[in-house]
Amino acid sequence: MSSIAEFFQHLVNGLTLGGIYALIALGYTMVYGILKFINFAHGDILMVGAYLGLFIFNFLRGNSAMGAWWFAAFIIAMLASMCICALLGMTIEKLAYKPLRKATRLAPLLSAIGVSFMLSNGAAWAWGTQSRKLDYPFDNTPINILGISIAPHQILILAVATIMMVILTLFVSKSRMGKAMRATSLDQSTAKLMGINSDQIISLTFGIGSALAACGGMLIALDIKVYATMGTMVGLKAFVAAVVGGIGNIGGAMLGGLMLGLLETFGIALLGIPTSYKDAIAFAVLIIVLLVKPEGIMGKVEREKV
Amino acid sequence: MKKFSVVLLVALVAVAAAFAGGSNESAASEVKIGFIGPLTGDYANYGVRCYQAVQLAVNEANAAGGINGKQITLIAEDSEGASDKALAGFEKLVNNDKVCAIVGAVLTGETLAVAEKAQEEGVLLISPSASADGVTDIGDFIFRTTPNDGLQGKVAGYYFAQVLGVKNLGVLYAKNDYSQGLYEGMKEAFEAAGGKIALAETCMVGDKDFKTQLTKLRNANVDAVYIPNYTVEMAQQLEQAAQLGMSMQFLSGDGFTDAQIYSLAGDYTNGVIYTGPTPGKENAAFVSNFKKAFDVDPGTFSTNAYDAANIVIAAIAKAGTDRTAIRNAVAATKDYEGVLGTINFESNGDLVATTGVYLVVNQAPVFQGNYTVVDGVLSEVK
Repeated sequence: MSSIAEFFQHLVNGLTLGGIYALIALGYTMVYGILKFINFAHGDILMVGAYLGLFIFNFLRGNSAMGAWWFAAFIIAMLASMCICALLGMTIEKLAYKPLRKATRLAPLLSAIGVSFMLSNGAAWAWGTQSRKLDYPFDNTPINILGISIAPHQILILAVATIMMVILTLFVSKSRMGKAMRATSLDQSTAKLMGINSDQIISLTFGIGSALAACGGMLIALDIKVYATMGTMVGLKAFVAAVVGGIGNIGGAMLGGLMLGLLETFGIALLGIPTSYKDAIAFAVLIIVLLVKPEGIMGKVEREKV
Repeated sequence: MKKFSVVLLVALVAVAAAFAGGSNESAASEVKIGFIGPLTGDYANYGVRCYQAVQLAVNEANAAGGINGKQITLIAEDSEGASDKALAGFEKLVNNDKVCAIVGAVLTGETLAVAEKAQEEGVLLISPSASADGVTDIGDFIFRTTPNDGLQGKVAGYYFAQVLGVKNLGVLYAKNDYSQGLYEGMKEAFEAAGGKIALAETCMVGDKDFKTQLTKLRNANVDAVYIPNYTVEMAQQLEQAAQLGMSMQFLSGDGFTDAQIYSLAGDYTNGVIYTGPTPGKENAAFVSNFKKAFDVDPGTFSTNAYDAANIVIAAIAKAGTDRTAIRNAVAATKDYEGVLGTINFESNGDLVATTGVYLVVNQAPVFQGNYTVVDGVLSEVK
């Protein structure tokens, strides 16, 4: 096996790892882009989504053998989990964030961290702390091209992340609802005067963000299994990816995620950074980007609102 | 206040003296054995179960008439799991109570501390549970009835090189005491047996993505990959190795014993060869006696403690109450049939133990044999 093949294998590994970060970063960045609020419970909603998806998928497929029905069951489970998580996200917003909308910026942030703890500890209490396996709904035999292996589920993760990025961009920039979102983002009270129900828009934003989290949760569960704290580290990294790419910018989240995945892979494989510092790479990158370009790679400098 | 403490101190000394005097008088009619271990605190669970097992052995021996007509008195000292408390307990047992041998200590740290003193004083110390390397190397008065942690790694190293014929071995181990200890033990033996560690990669407990390290191993031209890690990490590693198209032999340690590996990694576990505990002997009688006496199930090291106490009792029966004679009698133990199995000691006081080797077939371990390494030679124990 040549070293060129090894290089490209690392490249593929980095891209698929980055795909996971990108998928979650999209949810962070969307909520931030509209509400200027970092939903730290995002990673935990993702975890709840993964658990729900796992339960529904296992219930639907029953004892049947792997086949087309498994894939259908997986899609149904994902849609159901997305709907439930959307409701969960909207409920959390009503209970934990809405009462704090007029408070200092720090208050909802802390409230979000509280929600995050409640969700992950609640899951540990209800479902235990053991990892559970979410079975692949399709034959996941890796594809081998010129000595480079890639598993079908990794392609799926990258594809879904890309499709979502496109849909989200179109939705926010082209649809009426998206326009209302942007208006709310710009100035809540003026948007209200223009006849936009900003409470509804904010609620909708959380709903979509949480549905995105559930979808991402189920996909990454294929890769990292389902457990109560599954959203914590990967959520934190995705948050870093969103900030590095330029938080609020949907394309930036994708770019940041892929970049982080590649840096983590090549930092260890080529630069010889010790494995124990793998997680530190993400945060080192965050610090550098914040120093050099605080708004992120694709972020735009916004003027202070008066 | 000060006056009060002086009075208290005097009273305590008086009481202690009275006890000491009292015990001296009855010395002729009883045999004293000491126990040291954590009976309270965070590690009490280990210590109490060991102490109860020793109590059970002593009570059974007393019920059967004691040692040559003398009843055995068991004196326990609580270490709380701390070395200084264990040392204080040791001083009391040896100098005040004048015990003729000690079963203990329980944790590795406290045992290391007490062992130094036991060696100096020339008192037999037999630990049921201190498994770290080096405990018995302190001196010839130190024994244990639990396998040395190093044994598993040793058996693994020789087995991989001599039985499986692995020449170039790749390793992916987590940076913690357990995985690193197994890796280092294995490496020493594997290299002594003529094998070569082609590439050793590390990871952290809690990592999910191991593709970088696995890709390096895949391209390092190794015959086999050793992953002596915990269940969740191993499940990820086996699955991701398959996704990278790695088809070489995977090897592991006793972390693989946890059945959760099969629910997490499924068919990816097939073909893995790992070292694990020797299949346990039937000891239903011990379990039921223990339950009857203490109303709880025996703990992890209860059987080890029970056998340790019985070996000491047997040695006293044979050699009398002289501390050095007891030590020599314990060292001469030959094929003692305990609840653990047949017990022998190596020349350094370590338990002659075996490690099982298993092959995973169809998501279930298939026992391949029991192995031990004595003086650098791997041998199968039937």
